[in-house]
Amino acid sequence: MSERWLEGLRRRIRLAGGHPATAVPEASTARGEEPRIRLAEVVEPPLRAIRCAPPTPWEAPVAFLDGVQRTAIVGYAGTEPLLAAEVAAGVRLRVDRQPRSATHLRRRLLLGRAAALARVGALPPTIEAMALPDDGPAHPVADIDAARRAVDDVRGHLERAVAATFRTTHPDAWLLVDGSLTVSPDWARDPRMVGVVKSHTTLPFEAESLEVYLTLPIGHRSSAFRPPTRTVAPVHAFGMRLHDWTGHDLLHGLVRIECAAGPVDTAALDLLAGRLLAERAPLAADPRADRMLYGVHDVERWLRAVR
Amino acid sequence: MSATTIGQVLATDLRPATPHLFHFWTGADSGAGIGTIVRVEAEGRVVFGVVTEAFAWSDLARPLDAVIAADGDPSRAGEAPTDRPTIRLWTAAVLRQLPEEPVQPVPFGPVTLASDADVRLALRMEGYAEGDDPRGLALGLYAAGGTGSPVWLDADFLLGPEAAHLNITGVSGLATKTSAVTFMLSSIFQQLPPSRGSVAAICFNVKGPDLCFLDQPAPLGEGDLALWRRLGLTPTPFTDMTLYAPYKPDGVNLNTLRSHPALTDRVEPLVWGLREILDYAEVVLNRDDVDAKAGALLDFLGERVVGRHFEAPELRDAPFAVESFADLDEFFRAIFDYLETRARGAEVWRTHHVATIRKVRNRLGNVATRSHGLVTDDGVASDLPWGAFRDRSVTVVDVAGVDPLAQDLVFARVISRLREHLERRDLGVDQMIVFVDELNKYAATDGPETYVKRMLLDLSERGRYLGLVLFSAQQFRSQVLRRVVGNAGTTVYGRMDSDELALPGYATLPAAVKARLAALPKGELLVRHPHFTQPIFVRFPRPAMLSGREGIERFPATPDLPFEAAVVQRLRRLDLAIAADAIREAIADRPEGEVRRALGAVARERPDDVLSFFRACLRRVIAAEPIAPPRGIAPLSQRDDDPFAPY
Repeated sequence: MSERWLEGLRRRIRLAGGHPATAVPEASTARGEEPRIRLAEVVEPPLRAIRCAPPTPWEAPVAFLDGVQRTAIVGYAGTEPLLAAEVAAGVRLRVDRQPRSATHLRRRLLLGRAAALARVGALPPTIEAMALPDDGPAHPVADIDAARRAVDDVRGHLERAVAATFRTTHPDAWLLVDGSLTVSPDWARDPRMVGVVKSHTTLPFEAESLEVYLTLPIGHRSSAFRPPTRTVAPVHAFGMRLHDWTGHDLLHGLVRIECAAGPVDTAALDLLAGRLLAERAPLAADPRADRMLYGVHDVERWLRAVR
Repeated sequence: MSATTIGQVLATDLRPATPHLFHFWTGADSGAGIGTIVRVEAEGRVVFGVVTEAFAWSDLARPLDAVIAADGDPSRAGEAPTDRPTIRLWTAAVLRQLPEEPVQPVPFGPVTLASDADVRLALRMEGYAEGDDPRGLALGLYAAGGTGSPVWLDADFLLGPEAAHLNITGVSGLATKTSAVTFMLSSIFQQLPPSRGSVAAICFNVKGPDLCFLDQPAPLGEGDLALWRRLGLTPTPFTDMTLYAPYKPDGVNLNTLRSHPALTDRVEPLVWGLREILDYAEVVLNRDDVDAKAGALLDFLGERVVGRHFEAPELRDAPFAVESFADLDEFFRAIFDYLETRARGAEVWRTHHVATIRKVRNRLGNVATRSHGLVTDDGVASDLPWGAFRDRSVTVVDVAGVDPLAQDLVFARVISRLREHLERRDLGVDQMIVFVDELNKYAATDGPETYVKRMLLDLSERGRYLGLVLFSAQQFRSQVLRRVVGNAGTTVYGRMDSDELALPGYATLPAAVKARLAALPKGELLVRHPHFTQPIFVRFPRPAMLSGREGIERFPATPDLPFEAAVVQRLRRLDLAIAADAIREAIADRPEGEVRRALGAVARERPDDVLSFFRACLRRVIAAEPIAPPRGIAPLSQRDDDPFAPY
């Protein structure tokens, strides 16, 4: 939208000390999550923008983990929906700047209420039937939502499984995960796992602190903090600006980085941020490229290609 | 051992596989390249293809993404910790499918580089290069796949009778056209099976010393020697080579750059007289000149006058014996005298108008003037060995230094005579290869219709039935008469000019092949042959004989000798025992024309006693006798008494 009246409004906002924006970045909100603020504890006070170390590639082996999923409504048994889903997760290890597939898992599912699945009968061996809860009256929309949540769970399981497999063979490699580490206590404890979270549905600060957090300049990180809701798998996190957001949106280029909780080592966090800055290149051919590391994009594309 | 898979056939809706084209992808270091022959085996079929196009790309969606990723600094573009994935996608044209029927799209199978055996099958060489009737002639090595497999041409399709002729195109100096042809001649001479009869070659040297040293061995490097060995050939120059060249206008020094004393033993003069010229008068006269009237007079001269005793009492009592241009001029003068004097200004002699007679006289007179050295006044000819050409011999006709008119005359007469002899099967060999360079000049698309052009056209269209094979070369194929180059069964391209390649005539060549042709290194060629369904890149070794440039450096041309010294050299070449002083004494005070005639007679007759024969050919010299002053009448004695006495 480049209409002049919009530009006029953006100019007014800028003059008033605000931050003009053009578009909310794609996938900056997580699936099925309500936007909210959960105040975090700053473990590296005060909360401020800290310049990251210069972009420095990892010397140790680095791998990337991601999962993909695809659902399609394939029919109804009466009024009960039947959804097909293909879920995959994989790890790609970078060797001599070339990503190589390390491990992956894939499942094909048919989801529906038990009665609906029974009406379909026996499935081919490559497709699993997964029954949805049938504790309430059948509602097609609710059942579809339930199926999608189930698929999310399957994906999470697959991601944790491939991570475990990879760790058995590559205990010293860095493993960068597309998403939060808090979904697994093992991940949250792993000193060589890093979570890169693109969505900002849940924000850790409010008021002036939030402005500090959301207006980080490019190449800067926030002070480290401990997200409050992750008591099961506590991690440390910091916000980080990968690409300049000026003229885009507050969330453009902003990621939340998660790593194992422990004694705060500012220099180590700076170095980690510098290594992540180096991962900005090459730029992924993806609408989320402002927050997506190329290695994660590569895993995602690979999982889709080997389907 | 199974070949290593280097790629995989793929097909999309935008790039489908067809029976004649397919696509495959490889890694970056597959060894494939433009011109590489590959093999696909799947679904019970084997398909051979040659790579004609190559593509590569990465997942970079927009150029700006690269700028952003490098923070606008090109020097940092290579610092990204992850390399983008890239694809090498190749397009290949199908050379052959096995089984041949039914014709189907190329199956989606693994791709391997072609082995030696694969190359033989892909190019259908197993049908003629091996078996009961092998007739393969080595052209070079297929080297694009790193195998170095020999590539053979089918003798029946290069020399006839199935197809014939070879045409080569390429830019001057870089396309190695002459080298390719001389190497091909070596290959033919060494590998043409006896069952295909005897063969010889006539090469017209039209540029400097290009073909003057075909009998002189060239130093070859180990790489070239290995290539010769790989092709089953022995790297030797032509052992049976003779060079014919006209004289320079002085009539004694030959008009060739092969004049080094060490090499003159294989150089012969090429001299023609009136008889030889008159048969090809149409060549040397402008086409407009040869109207019906002039043609009738020329026919009359050829059939009734030249070489015969022609009686014309109205002109003179004694019959005419016209053997030379000088005799012919005398004959014409007699006609004019008759018309002007005894016929009292009549304008017609024996149905020929005086204007026609004058025109023919002028034009023929000009021939002798412009082709001085080739055409002799005195009727003594020194010609090619018609009827006595030897198997595997090379005859070089050096016309590089003569007038274009004389070049045309030489082409026309030599090729016409070749055709006549081959029709009678009395040439001495069963097949004659004629190599003509600079076809742009002699068979140009535009320009006037010339006798030479018609003759080359006839040769290219009908020569194969006679065993007359045209090997031709030119810089710009587009500028050569289409029917001449189109009749060449085998077409070869060396390094090409980009502008030339952009012309519609090359539209069938893929862009990548054109790009490779425009930068083709010396010694590499692109070849079309009837058995090859697609053009193939080959590498051929350096010929085993000196190139013109090397030859002239090693055997520099000697400056023209003075008349006397040239005569001495020519005669001593025939008999080294002759003392130079004896020759000088014999020709002292002789007119040059007389000495030239005697020299020509010696060259033609090759007598055992050269000096005696030479002396005998000179006019007899009558020794001068001192004449005593006339004695007169003795004076009368003086008488004083006689007043009338003289003293």
